[in-house]
Amino acid sequence: MTLDDLAAYGANVQEGLGRCMNMEAFYLQLVETIKAEPNFDALAAAIDAGDLDAAFSASHALKGVLSNLSLTPLQKPMEELCELLRAHTDMDYAPLMAEITQQLERFRAL
Amino acid sequence: MLESHQRFHSANGKRQILIADDELINRELLRAVLQDTYELHFATNGQEALDAMRKHRETLSLVLLDLLMPVMSGMELLRAARADATIAQIPVIVISGDIDSEIECLQAGAMDFIPKPYPKPGVILARVLRTIELSEDRDIISSTERDELTGLYNREYFYRYVEQFDLYHRDAPMDALVVDVNHFHMINERFGTSYGDLVLRQIAEALLTAVQPAEGFVCRREADTFLIYCPHGVDYDGILANASIRLTNGDRQGNRIWLRMGVYANVDKMLDVERRFDRAKRAADTVQGSFARRIGIYDDTMHERELYSEQLIENFDSAINEHQFSVFFQPKFDVQSEPPILASAEALVRWFHPTMGMINPGVFIPLFEENGLVQRLDLYVWRAAAAQIREWKERFGISIAVSVNVSRIDMYDPYLVETLQEVVRDNDIDPSELVLEITESAYTQDSQQIIETVNRLRDLGFRVEMDDFGTGYSSLNMISSLPIDALKLDMQFVRSAFSGTQDTRMLEVIIDIADYLSVPVIAEGVETEAQMLTLREMGCDVVQGFFFSRPVPPEEFERFILERKAVEARVREGDGNDARRGTHKQTAVTYGRIVQALAADYFGIYYVDIQTGAYAEYGAHHKYRSLGIDTTGTDFFADTKRNIERVVYPDDIEMLQATLTKDNIEDSLNRTGVFTVTYRIMFEDGPSYVHLKATRMVGGNDKHIVIGVSNVDEQIRREQERARAIRLANQDALTGVKSKLAYSQDERKLDRAIAAGGQGPFAVVVFDVNDLKYVNDTQGHAAGDQYLKDACTIICQTFKHSPVYRIGGDEFVAILRGTDYAAREQLMAQLDVNNRTDVHGGGVSIAGGIAEFQKDTDQRLAAVFKRADTAMYENKRRLKGTSGSSIR
Repeated sequence: MTLDDLAAYGANVQEGLGRCMNMEAFYLQLVETIKAEPNFDALAAAIDAGDLDAAFSASHALKGVLSNLSLTPLQKPMEELCELLRAHTDMDYAPLMAEITQQLERFRAL
Repeated sequence: MLESHQRFHSANGKRQILIADDELINRELLRAVLQDTYELHFATNGQEALDAMRKHRETLSLVLLDLLMPVMSGMELLRAARADATIAQIPVIVISGDIDSEIECLQAGAMDFIPKPYPKPGVILARVLRTIELSEDRDIISSTERDELTGLYNREYFYRYVEQFDLYHRDAPMDALVVDVNHFHMINERFGTSYGDLVLRQIAEALLTAVQPAEGFVCRREADTFLIYCPHGVDYDGILANASIRLTNGDRQGNRIWLRMGVYANVDKMLDVERRFDRAKRAADTVQGSFARRIGIYDDTMHERELYSEQLIENFDSAINEHQFSVFFQPKFDVQSEPPILASAEALVRWFHPTMGMINPGVFIPLFEENGLVQRLDLYVWRAAAAQIREWKERFGISIAVSVNVSRIDMYDPYLVETLQEVVRDNDIDPSELVLEITESAYTQDSQQIIETVNRLRDLGFRVEMDDFGTGYSSLNMISSLPIDALKLDMQFVRSAFSGTQDTRMLEVIIDIADYLSVPVIAEGVETEAQMLTLREMGCDVVQGFFFSRPVPPEEFERFILERKAVEARVREGDGNDARRGTHKQTAVTYGRIVQALAADYFGIYYVDIQTGAYAEYGAHHKYRSLGIDTTGTDFFADTKRNIERVVYPDDIEMLQATLTKDNIEDSLNRTGVFTVTYRIMFEDGPSYVHLKATRMVGGNDKHIVIGVSNVDEQIRREQERARAIRLANQDALTGVKSKLAYSQDERKLDRAIAAGGQGPFAVVVFDVNDLKYVNDTQGHAAGDQYLKDACTIICQTFKHSPVYRIGGDEFVAILRGTDYAAREQLMAQLDVNNRTDVHGGGVSIAGGIAEFQKDTDQRLAAVFKRADTAMYENKRRLKGTSGSSIR
């Protein structure tokens, strides 16, 4: 994975790199860990089980790291999901989860 | 998770920050930003963070806190931290994406809020630094208000606080209280300062608890003195009882801490805050040392006394201007002269107040010492004394040295030396005639400056006496290194030696050692002939006191001068009545001595014709009549031989018969001018030592000799006692090895040998017993003592043939000669091996350093000691570096 790959993916590379004191390797190393981030599975499982609190917890944690790394395509739907879960909104989360899953697949393919 | 970050820890001087976030990526991002500037700790949930805050509370500068974390959330942590006084002051910045929580966080005590996603690193760094600095400023402000040890207000802030309080409560009647700990220095000395600090903290807490309900406030003024300002009429007894705590930790169980209290009730608010508490303090001092009364109240009597003091202070100027102060003179007699002869005088001030009459110096001098006026009074006395010296010199043609007091405050006067020179110059006297008495305690406080001043004065020709010696500050060792011309024993010290049990042993030891160091001793406060005679026998040189005369006006003093002139005139005429006694100095026996003997000491005096043996006996009296010796005879030596068998103690008969022969006596008289022998005589109540002394009559042609026999039993017993006391002073009480005093005496001997060039090779080993303080603190002083004894045994067993001295709490010295010197390298190696094996066994470890005497360069033992000491410290550092930790 390169910075160009990430930029092409839609990440705000400039911003994310800035938080890493412009250390490219360090940024890429952190971004790479997202591919195996266990909270994605935890989030999906909680949604399936209808456990909105657990789902919120996972989405909140993910939102934080995604935004800090400026992985915008994943960050945006995650923020939306997090706010809905915080409010315990009674709705079908499947479309939003589908988008997240699709963006995660794209990201993992980088 | 904490472990994964530990590689980032650094033990340097950076400020420390705790980062609490459950997400690795967030922690790593913050680490990247902060690690160059700060030392970082990490926690992955609120509980871990709380534990880390407690663990690092002394060093943590900031906490960066995420809100949503497992186990304990950030908000819960924030509240828990605020509730724990030990960590409440550590600043916290919340970092969260939940912007809505910002207000709640700040209200819960967070100092700042940083949103997620994180702002630019520069922003984070700036906000972190600003928060830390703000918080440190706050701590500095609060620490200037607080006493570090107890957390109570400190004195300055307390006084300001009281003033503020009074502004808003003008009419509220208030009490000023002072609480002191009885014998606090004893607690510190017996149990160590850390225990003393604990006691102070407990007292502080107890006082605060007792006073707060009454809306009073407390401060620690200094050391063990606490101040309380509270509404009038609180229950003083209750406060004192609550604060008088029984400390019950460890083996010190049951050590009752006694407090005393001074109360200045319903304070006069026109008075300075400080003076209100001065009054309370004075009241507290009235019950000092009393177990029956624990609370002193500032009352009318004390108030009157204070007013009286104020009046004396007010009158001081006019008293000086109108010459109300008179200078009296008390003679000091040289008692090693027979009869004692006037040696010098001490100038003492008297105040004849126009309305109050004669005021006791015991009243006004401490008062003037307290406020510094004594400096002007001293100058007044110096001038008067100098003028008097001059006048006597002119009128009587005789120089009488007069000693004057130099108060402690004078010693800090930068112009002291010039002032004294001026006094001497103005009166045209020699500096040696104005003797300066400097109190012993001045030498121990800030002694370096005092010593420099005294050295300058002595270089200019002034003589300096150390006054009040024996009041408890200086050690005998000090005397040898201090620049003094005489030692003046404190009046109380002399009196207590002669009162009650008549325990004069300490006096004797001091006089002996002073004699050894060639410092003359002056005894003050001598009231009876018996005291004078005893002091004289002990070797005291000069005596002052009521026995000779109270302090008298100059006119009255003149009779002592006239007496001295008369004695001196007789001496010039050859009367010989002024013979130096020389009890200590063993000078030759003179005719004067025989005269004295006739008058007092001897129970038998024989006037013998050495050629014919014809003799006469004088002065056999009272109980010694049982000797039954004839009053005249034709053959002294034959008669004596017979009598010996009758009266002398069996063990000594043979010796005496062999010694007391005509030939022996003559031989000895020819060689040394004197013949002496000591033996025992049987009295009804057992054997007694007697001393026989024979000397020729004045003039070499007289064939007569005089033989005196005196009872020296008591003297010999006293000498044995004295030898014992000196031996004790030379021996360390705990370990039994030689003491520091012995070291300084041996040091002088060695220095003399070095100076004479005759000193052979030797080496000095300095030892320091490691961890004594640690053992004392953790296992008590009994264990500490045992530890020291063990260490001492190791040293003595290793350096078997060398004298070992204990020169400090945990410091020993050995001086190696002969066998030990030859084997010094093996012995040091043996000490080292002992350390290694013992350290690992948890035993005693002794740092040692050795240095050899370099004949060409070392002029004093101290130089060798210094090198050994340095070597010891290097060794100590090594021991600590390699194995010291295994002890702790």
